[in-house]
Amino acid sequence: MSGVEFSSVRAIAIKDFRDAVRSWTFWGLSALFFLVIALVVGVLAYFGQDIAAEGATTEVLVMYLSGITRPAIPLIALLLGWKAIAGERESGSIKIMLSLPHSRTDAILGKVIGRSAVLSLSLIIGFALAAVIVAVVLGGFDVAEYGGLLLVSIIYAVAYTSIAVAVSSTVRSTTAAAAILFSIFLLFYLLWDLALIAGFTLISLGYLPDSEYTYQLLLFLYYLDPGMSYTNILSLVTSAVDIDIAVLAFEGQLERTPFFLRDWFSLVILLCWVVVPTAIGIARFNRTDL
Amino acid sequence: MTAISVDKLSKRFGDTLALDDLSFQVEEGEVFGFLGPNGAGKSTTINILLDFARPTAGEVRVFGLDAQTDSREIRRRIGVLPEGVETYSRLTARQHLEFAIDSKGTDDDPEELLTRVDLVDAIDKKAGGYSKGMSQRLMLAMALVGDPDLLILDEPSTGLDPNGAREMRDLVRQEAARGATVFFSSHIMEQVEAVCDRVGILRAGEMVAIDTVEGLRDSVGGGSTLRVVVDRASQDALERVRSLPDVTSATGEDTEPPALLVKTSGSKTAVLSEVEAAGVEVVDFSTEQSSLEDVFHAYTSGSRSRGETVEQEVRT
Repeated sequence: MSGVEFSSVRAIAIKDFRDAVRSWTFWGLSALFFLVIALVVGVLAYFGQDIAAEGATTEVLVMYLSGITRPAIPLIALLLGWKAIAGERESGSIKIMLSLPHSRTDAILGKVIGRSAVLSLSLIIGFALAAVIVAVVLGGFDVAEYGGLLLVSIIYAVAYTSIAVAVSSTVRSTTAAAAILFSIFLLFYLLWDLALIAGFTLISLGYLPDSEYTYQLLLFLYYLDPGMSYTNILSLVTSAVDIDIAVLAFEGQLERTPFFLRDWFSLVILLCWVVVPTAIGIARFNRTDL
Repeated sequence: MTAISVDKLSKRFGDTLALDDLSFQVEEGEVFGFLGPNGAGKSTTINILLDFARPTAGEVRVFGLDAQTDSREIRRRIGVLPEGVETYSRLTARQHLEFAIDSKGTDDDPEELLTRVDLVDAIDKKAGGYSKGMSQRLMLAMALVGDPDLLILDEPSTGLDPNGAREMRDLVRQEAARGATVFFSSHIMEQVEAVCDRVGILRAGEMVAIDTVEGLRDSVGGGSTLRVVVDRASQDALERVRSLPDVTSATGEDTEPPALLVKTSGSKTAVLSEVEAAGVEVVDFSTEQSSLEDVFHAYTSGSRSRGETVEQEVRT
């Protein structure tokens, strides 16, 4: 195990920020992301007269925007992070980095921080540009709610960056990193809902006990998806409401909501997604031969 | 004091034994040539020294510090030119050096370092557009950050043209003159003989010879073959040359123009003077490297088979 030195982590983070911020893939994706946001705002402005009259513009905006950011942020984070360590291993530049006085732990922390900073920068720029359009087109919005969406989005982005860098540090090739990361994305974005429905079906067919605890457990597993945590936290910090039908049906089965199914606990889950993958990545990376 | 001490080092990758009980020492202040064909285990040794890979058995110490437990402290005191790596294509040379300077916490000037390796003209260009030789110069400049006590140069002449290779050797001499220890790996003898105080020849994970350049030359009884092109064939010239004490043989060549082939372990000028003393004009001359290149081949090729050795390149 190797120690952590702040100056090393900072040097690597600065280097990595400078490197990643010049990536065309990244800026292309960010631009696309921003265009979609602008499009949503445009559509909202066009059809939004009635909503505006009800004073719920920002609420609807947050709802629509989070519908885009929930899959878009993981995709950008994974595309930004898949090569973080595996790419340096393939090109050999990791030997430049690690022949300098850095520990492997410093390297992973520096990478997570550097890439998170790049992604946060793009989110801040994208949201700021979109805010201008929103203000002009809709004539004003709730800054606190919009800021809440940005803040939670940044935590969400850091969680996926942590996942991406961790996977990238565990495998030897970028191809393997890409395959695993894309599988993780598909798992949460497509299969997770199906798994919940499968659980529901198993209960109704009598394969799983139809008890309060079964529902609590299944729902808890479902809430482990970083995207679900993202949505849950958003309903906590903004007035946007959770409208997932399957989840509502499930929650309807519960007589009471235990703490681990409450919205605030989703923040704990999301923070675990920031810390745990990086910790595993550090532990494994410290043991391998480069 | 000892700069590098390798003690009973073994490294196994699956079924292949890349290093087999390797032991040697590099003294402080010396320029040590670490020579061997590709796959002999040079990179594996350097990787263990830098804690990129962990030994199966044995240990490496640098300035008395353990390569595994005190790796950070070791890397603070050394400069490394790694082999076969790409630089960060989106960063400029200046940014590369800023990274190394930041990492080592020194106050070196990027421009000054890049001037030393003759790359200052490309200081603000992205490294992605560099030639192999330019990347090599950039990494050499990074290795020089913080005036390291020990320089590890892994195949430093890769990608350099003859001029670049000469500048590289000059830099090695400058660093040695400053008091730095230089550990220089190569698979080409010619590159190390000009600058190294001592040479170790690695073959299939074992050190087969370790000595000064002169000592190695003597060990195989070689010398260099001098080819002297003359304006006319002359028996007198041949006799005169043969009479020189360091000359082991001298033969005439019926080429047009004619030439003399002289094997000598002594001075080339002595041979040329004798030829001229015979009234023959020297049109041209060249040294055929029968010297250390032959020594190298004598040690690294042939059928010295061992029980558990590997010939193929072992990469980590």
